[in-house]
Parts: sequence; C-alpha cells; structure tokens
Amino acid sequence: METILANAVEAIAGATGYIYPNEFELHWGILIVVYPYLTGLVAGAFILASLERVFKVSALIPVYRLSLLTALSFLLIAPLPLLAHLGRPERALEMFLTPHTKSAMAMFGFVYVWYLMVVLLLELWFDYRQDIINWARKSTGLKKYFYYALSLGSTSTSDEALAFDAKAGRFITLIGIPSAFLLHGYVGFIFGSVKANPWWSSVLMPIVFLFSAIVSGIALMVLIYMVTTMFRWKRINMDCLNKLGLFLIVAMIVDFSLELLDFIQRLYESEESINILSSMISNRLFISLIISQIIIGSIAPMAALVMARFRKVPDEMKRMLYFIAAILIQVGIFSTRWNVVLGGQLFSKSLRGLTTYKLEMFGLEGLFVSIVLLIMPFVILFVLVKILPPWEGGHHEPMRLAPAESKK
Amino acid sequence: MKKVPQQIIPLAIIFIVAIAALVTARHFFVPETFGDYGHYRAASVDEIASQEVVYAGSIICNDCHDDIYETKMNFDHRGVSCEVCHGPAMAHTEEPDEYTPRIPRIRNQCTICHGYNSARPSGFPQVVEEVHNPGRPCLECHNPHKPLLPRAPQACDACHREIALQKAVSHHTSLECKTCHDAPPDHMSNPRFARAQKPTSRALCGKCHDTEADVSRGIPRIKLATHNENYLCWDCHYPHHPEAR
Repeated sequence: METILANAVEAIAGATGYIYPNEFELHWGILIVVYPYLTGLVAGAFILASLERVFKVSALIPVYRLSLLTALSFLLIAPLPLLAHLGRPERALEMFLTPHTKSAMAMFGFVYVWYLMVVLLLELWFDYRQDIINWARKSTGLKKYFYYALSLGSTSTSDEALAFDAKAGRFITLIGIPSAFLLHGYVGFIFGSVKANPWWSSVLMPIVFLFSAIVSGIALMVLIYMVTTMFRWKRINMDCLNKLGLFLIVAMIVDFSLELLDFIQRLYESEESINILSSMISNRLFISLIISQIIIGSIAPMAALVMARFRKVPDEMKRMLYFIAAILIQVGIFSTRWNVVLGGQLFSKSLRGLTTYKLEMFGLEGLFVSIVLLIMPFVILFVLVKILPPWEGGHHEPMRLAPAESKK
Repeated sequence: MKKVPQQIIPLAIIFIVAIAALVTARHFFVPETFGDYGHYRAASVDEIASQEVVYAGSIICNDCHDDIYETKMNFDHRGVSCEVCHGPAMAHTEEPDEYTPRIPRIRNQCTICHGYNSARPSGFPQVVEEVHNPGRPCLECHNPHKPLLPRAPQACDACHREIALQKAVSHHTSLECKTCHDAPPDHMSNPRFARAQKPTSRALCGKCHDTEADVSRGIPRIKLATHNENYLCWDCHYPHHPEAR
C-alpha cells in the first residue's frame, strides 16, 4: 500500500491540470514505440524490393535481395517488443489456436504468419533457389548438406523450373504488396480505431503509418546498402542510390503532406480536444514532435535529398547527403512512432490535464531492452547475408551453373 | 496432363504439415468447453463460481445490524457497501464470534474517496489530509454511517455547500466569504431579491495579488495595472477552484 501511494504521489507530481486517477501511469511505453517502428521498416524494405520486381525498376537491382533479407530479419524481431510487453507472453500463442475474427489484435497473428511464411520466406526461397543449389554443389561437408536442406530437395535447374521460379516470385510479390500494406496499415488501423482518443482517432492513421513505413524502409536500405558496400570495398552504384533517393523524396513528400493534412484538418475542425492537444504539442511533445520529427526528421532530410537529387553536386557530396538524410529520417520516423504512441496517452480524457512518461533505463520495459531489440535485426541480417549473400547471382543475372549441373 | 513443378511438392508438404500441426495442436490444447458461451472457456465460469466466497454483500449485514443498515441507507454513504470499509465479511456471517470485521481507524482509509484529488467532481467533500486535523482519526468527528458535517452548516454553506466544499480545498480556504462578497442583511431570508454581490473591482484581488501588495511573499503576484486591465480577475481565475491559477 505504501509503495502504491508513493508511486501515486510521484506520478501526481508529474501531472498538470485535471487528470483522472487511472491516467497518471502510461501503459504503452517504449516497447510499443519500437514495435510499429520495426514493422514499418519491414513493410518499407519489402515495398522497395517490390518496386524492382513488379515495376521493373532495374536501377534497384543491387538492393533487391538485400531489401528482402532486411525485411526478413526485422520481421523476425518485430513481435518481440509486444511479447516483452505482455504479462503472460506464452498466451500469445492462443490466438492461433482459437482465432478471434472480430479482434484486430488477435487476427494480427495470422497477418504476421501470412506475411512471414507465404510472402517473405517463399519469395526469398524462389529467388535464391537456383543459387542455393549452386552453393550446395560447390560446397563440401556440412555446408553442402545445409544448402541442400535449404533447397528442400528441389534441385532442378532446368529452364522450365527456373522460369517457374521467376513466375512464382513475381506472383508472390504481387500478393506481397497488399500484404505489406496490411502488415503495417493494420498498426495504424489499431490506433485509428480507438474512438475515444482524439489524438489517434483518425481515418488517416493507417495511411500515414504506411507512408512513414515506406519512408523509413527506403531510408534504412540506403544506410544498409551504403555501409555494406563500404565494408565489401566495392563502389556504390550511383544509379541505384539516386533512384533510392528519388523514391525516398517522393515518399517523404507524400508522407509529410498527409501528416500536414491531418494536422490542418484537426486545427480546422477545432473539436473540444484541440486545446489540450495544442498544449501537449507545445509542452510535452515539443522536442520530440516539433524539433525531432518535423525539423530534424522531415524538413532537414527533405532539403538534403532535394539538394542531392536535383542540384549539380559531386557524387561524393551526394553520398554524404543521402547518408545524413537517411540517418535523420530514422530519427524522425522513430519520433513519429514515439509521438503517436505516447502522445495519445499523455493527455487526460477529461481534456484538461497532462501526465508525463518516465522512461525506464533497465527492466523489461526499459531503454536497454529496446536498444537490444533494435540491434538484434542487424545481427540476424549479418547471419542471413553470410548464409545467402545477396550480391551473388539473383533472378536478374543468372549464375553460371556449377559443372556438376545435369539438365533435367 | 501438365506436370506439377518440382518446387511445389516440398512447399506443399511443408504447408500441409504446418496446417496439420495447427489442427492437431487445436485438438490437444483448445479446452473442451471453449466457445460454448463466447470466446472463452465455459468451464472457467464454474471454476470461478467454486472459489471460496469472501465477500458477503451488504444485504446480509441487515439481518443482524438492521439499525446501522437503516441509518446508512438514509444518508450519503447508502451506495457504499459495508465491506468497502469493513473488509470481506463472509467469515463473520458464518462465525460471528470467531471473526469480527475491522473498523477502519486509520485516516488513509477515508481519504481513498475524500482525500483531495483534482479529478473528483466539483463539490464532492474532500480534505487535504495534511492540514485537516492532522493525526486525528476521522471517526473522532465523523460518523461514517451518518456522514454529516460535525457542525451544522453556518451562514453561507447552508445554501452554497458545493462552493464551500470546493473552497475548503482551494488556496482561499482561510478566507471568509465576506472577504470578497457583500451580502445584504436580508439575503438569507430573501436571497432572490437581496442578492449577494460578487467583486466588481480588480482592486479587491489586488489587495493580496498586486505586486505592490503588503502581504506574505508566498502569494502569487501580478502587476495589476498592466495585466488584462479590461477584465475582472474572476473572468479568468475562479477563486473557489482548487486548481485556480
């Protein structure tokens, strides 16, 4: 009892104005911020890969496979922040055993499995199959058996089989685009469906989430492509980078316009919540929204991208601008997630008071766990890249077959 | 007949195995009574019902304590169940001499509802525990079964109780009503015609809140001459309100 009272007193001290007793403490903390950020990166990276596959944007070939692997490594970690946030994480599996079709959150498990099993893994498998077979033939010992296991025993490299791979890959990508939209649009859908919360309750929410996902995914691929190329001592393909920059700037303009539209509409509507929301923006969210999301995370990178893409600057300068812009975009999109998730809980339903969020350092819902969760996808990506090097072969430049190849 | 592509076979096997595993898992892990009433295990209802009952409910108290129950039902705590203050009493109903419910003598029991909290409805009886007769149990002055004020309402709070209760936890708690309001002598007998006056000048508030005022330095100050001089103070600052700024 004393502890509860002490906590309450501390929480009350952080609140201003008129706030209901059950609103002092925020229940969705940084883990729930990390989660949409991760799924956004997945959807964005996959949509970038789809551009090359479906719309034949050949300049993006160097990042196609890398994007798929990135999407996979981030997707594997995406549910972990949610599980870490649950009191009884093992119960999460029950949504597969007893599907609840009327609950968006429960159905997400199926969206996730669909995206992982039917879209990403299948697309990767079809895309890599020919290379996997070749690696199996070239390798010796355990590695050989490992690659054979990866090929699932499907070792045919006949023209028909390869043609089927290409056709299946294209078909899966076609299914994959709406699936990627579903995967991340759903997160916005969940927030947008909370009618009682004026900060979240907006039909634009899924769309805004989706475009910010595309922005963050493309920016992440810019970073990963530049860093991996640098570590491989290769030259960066400027056509590819410029194309990435172009898509990035287009996606950013759409994303920023949508957010601005949402903001202007709220302002014009001026519902009774507008006073507390503006108070929240000017007090609690000033740094994370105005400074971090809008100035550092949107306007500055847009200016850098426009300069790199449309001004006559040397390639070296362009690379630097792209790199800086991509980092700033990550900061901006993370701030976007922060502002949406925490912003919706900082003001009272009485519309007359604000509470505060104290970020823990340690503990399951703390900063360190979040940092670990953000680093883990890169570790997985490192392993995946070792197993399935994205810069060899591929559907666009068939590898020469190993001598042991026997046409079926 | 067209040949099935070779790749389809292992994939089909994997998907069939996965679906079969899910169906099998459902068979073993989904409880038998799941879904009988809704999206939950129906047997859990019986399990919960079979748990030991610790709360008896107010009505059973009436069997033995009808005098107290009757009193309570006629006053403002009628909606508060006996066990809210006295704790779970099922054992007492079964073995009255063996188990006696507690009588709350600590102050923080009552302040769960009556401690000042800005989120409570305006006019709800509240106290700031630290300054309201510190250290003395609430029961000394208040009877929770008949929660009336320990003294009869005086002059103003007889009619303006809500305002009085609100003012009691505001910054102006120590001021008398007449400090700011002029009430003609027959206001009490004929309030509609002999109206009490609200402050009509800024100077009244300025006596304490002007930068020039000669009062305690802890009181918030403002330069009255230049601070929104076209308005009365209480157009913006409601003086009875605990959160008034």
